[in-house]
Amino acid sequence: MSSILIRDLVKRHGAQVTVDRVSLEIGQGEFVAFLGPSGCGKTTTLRMIAGLTEASAGSIHFGTREVTNLPPYLRDAGLVFQGYALFPHMSVAENVAFGLQMRKVDRAEVRRRVDEALSLVKLAHLAGRLPKELSGGQQQRVALARAIVYKPEVLLLDEPLSALDAKLRTEVRTELRRLQSALGLTTIFVTHDQDEALSVADRIVVMSAGRVEQVGTPREIYQRPATRFVAEFIGLTNLFPGGLEGPGRFRCESGECFSTGSTDVPPNASVLAIRPEHVSLLRDDPAPGGACALAATVEDVIYRGALTEFVVRTASGAKLAAHLQNTDLGRDELRPGDRVIASWPADAPMLF
Amino acid sequence: MSALAITGEDSLTGGQPAPGCPGRRRRRSTAGWLLFPSLTLVLAGLILPLALMARTSVAHFDAASPDLAGFTLDNYVRFFGEPFYLMILARTLVVALSCTAICLVLGVPAAFVISRVESRALKTVLILATIIPLLMGNAVRAAGWMVLLADKGLINSALLSAGLIAEPVRILYTGSAVVIGLIAVLLPFMVISLESVFENIGTAYEEAAQTMGAPPWTAFFRVTLPLAMPGIFSGCLLCFVLAMNAYATPVLIGGPSFQMMAPKVFEQAIKVYNWPFAATIALVLMAVTLALSVASSLALQKRYGVL
Ligand SMILES: Nc1ncnc2c1ncn2[C@@H]1O[C@H](COP(=O)(O)OP(=O)(O)OP(=O)(O)O)[C@@H](O)[C@H]1O
Ligand SMILES: [Mg+2]
Repeated sequence: MSSILIRDLVKRHGAQVTVDRVSLEIGQGEFVAFLGPSGCGKTTTLRMIAGLTEASAGSIHFGTREVTNLPPYLRDAGLVFQGYALFPHMSVAENVAFGLQMRKVDRAEVRRRVDEALSLVKLAHLAGRLPKELSGGQQQRVALARAIVYKPEVLLLDEPLSALDAKLRTEVRTELRRLQSALGLTTIFVTHDQDEALSVADRIVVMSAGRVEQVGTPREIYQRPATRFVAEFIGLTNLFPGGLEGPGRFRCESGECFSTGSTDVPPNASVLAIRPEHVSLLRDDPAPGGACALAATVEDVIYRGALTEFVVRTASGAKLAAHLQNTDLGRDELRPGDRVIASWPADAPMLF
Repeated sequence: MSALAITGEDSLTGGQPAPGCPGRRRRRSTAGWLLFPSLTLVLAGLILPLALMARTSVAHFDAASPDLAGFTLDNYVRFFGEPFYLMILARTLVVALSCTAICLVLGVPAAFVISRVESRALKTVLILATIIPLLMGNAVRAAGWMVLLADKGLINSALLSAGLIAEPVRILYTGSAVVIGLIAVLLPFMVISLESVFENIGTAYEEAAQTMGAPPWTAFFRVTLPLAMPGIFSGCLLCFVLAMNAYATPVLIGGPSFQMMAPKVFEQAIKVYNWPFAATIALVLMAVTLALSVASSLALQKRYGVL
């Protein structure tokens, strides 16, 4: 188990820069998620850390050991591939034993640790099967057991849950998180599923077009996104393009004028963002003339059980999404066509 | 061809059997009709001549009349009774097996390297270079070897003028020359078929092995090679069968002093007009090739599962 230190990592494919000056520090035993849209360079970064792809520039350290130019078999990383890559000609037990055999662990010890790893992922009873005789979820767990059995310095997971259905996915990721903290493994978990990243990671690295957009805890990433990309990519966001008009006031292109609230405002802000769950809809204006309220018409209502999603249209024609918790059983129901006042707390707006 | 047609039809109906049986039955009979042309070809082109040959091989030989007559096992008795013919069979087997073994040893690394070349352009060039020997006819190629290997050929003249040898070394018309000549034809087949095998296996398994601590050689021998085994076997089989039945190369490079089975069949049929004995030699050649192929594939199946 060691920390990972990545400095100015670059990967060029011909003229195209796939990974662009990524710098990152991951603590010992930390669980970090790489999150980003498809093709943003997550797999490429992970492969460079594992040594399967050569870095064009930059350096990678595991603890104090520099591994930048080390071949993969000398790096001591555990990797779970996007497609698992279980050896089809070896049984589950042989697959798991492989890494130990490469480390010249003696036979009895190999057997003991394979059993241990397989029971850790609850697959001890399937040790003799071939990978093709397992379900997707079981294969995934074998791949995991195979990667952790030799206690690698770093554990790298490339969308390990993408082949599983929603329920199994939640189950396995909880299990994964439990295992990871029990063994204290420094882990990088690649995903393009934001729920997954938010719910399991200690910290999230949001990537876009080969670049790191933001690094932070799930709470920081969601509540204080550093860039417009992060705000749009994580969760739903209402965006109002426009510009600052005097201190504390933001003029939208559509004409409305909002208070920028108490958050620190970048001087050249060009867009104001509000999370739908911060918007409340009322029939009467609570504080007439307030800067954080505007008249609108309900356009669409989607009942989702725990919450209801509304789309309202303001007088100037801008669309606004609002998510309201269904806590008030007796609340009078808003219907399409109803006139409402949309408002939000003064510190809800985010500016980029 | 027919399999494709059936799949196509199934996917049109979304893979759902049409309600009731008649639809299904009609579809099956359609597929049957699609098989008809190829079946006819196989029947007319393979089974009939084989049957005819089997009949010929047990006929009396009468130089005066070409008609098939009588029933006798004399031809087989002659083949298996005379050491001369058994020697030819043994020689053919040794040549075919050595060619296969050498092609295997040379072909596996070459195919693997080509399959792992990253640049598309370089890969195309390498594959083309591999199959260039196949672009010229057998006879032309053999003539080339003759120029190179003859007593007064290029190699001998070079060695002589360099003073390395006092008199020409006999290379042409020896077993080694035949093996070399055959390898030049067979190696491209081996490399091309293995290249696609390695290509299909992909790099993911090797990479997985390497991240788990296996150096490239270990990853190759523990993971890639076992996975390629069925394909390697097919490649070897192809080489072996082609070498067993080789004609032009043994005739031209082996000459009269190094006789093999296929040229012998030709000689008996065309030069001696002994069709019954020619048929016998041909059938023995086929039976031995088939028996060895089946036996080896069964042995490998036991070791590596379904091939
Ligand atoms: N060998 C290569 N040659 C050229 N371009 C490549 C190569 N490998 C990756 N790329 C490019 O690099 C970019 C990043 O790819 P990468 O596989 O890292 O994306 P990703 O973030 O893992 O996406 P996904 O979520 O779909 O897995 C893509 O635009 C891809 O086309
Ligand atoms: Mg990827």
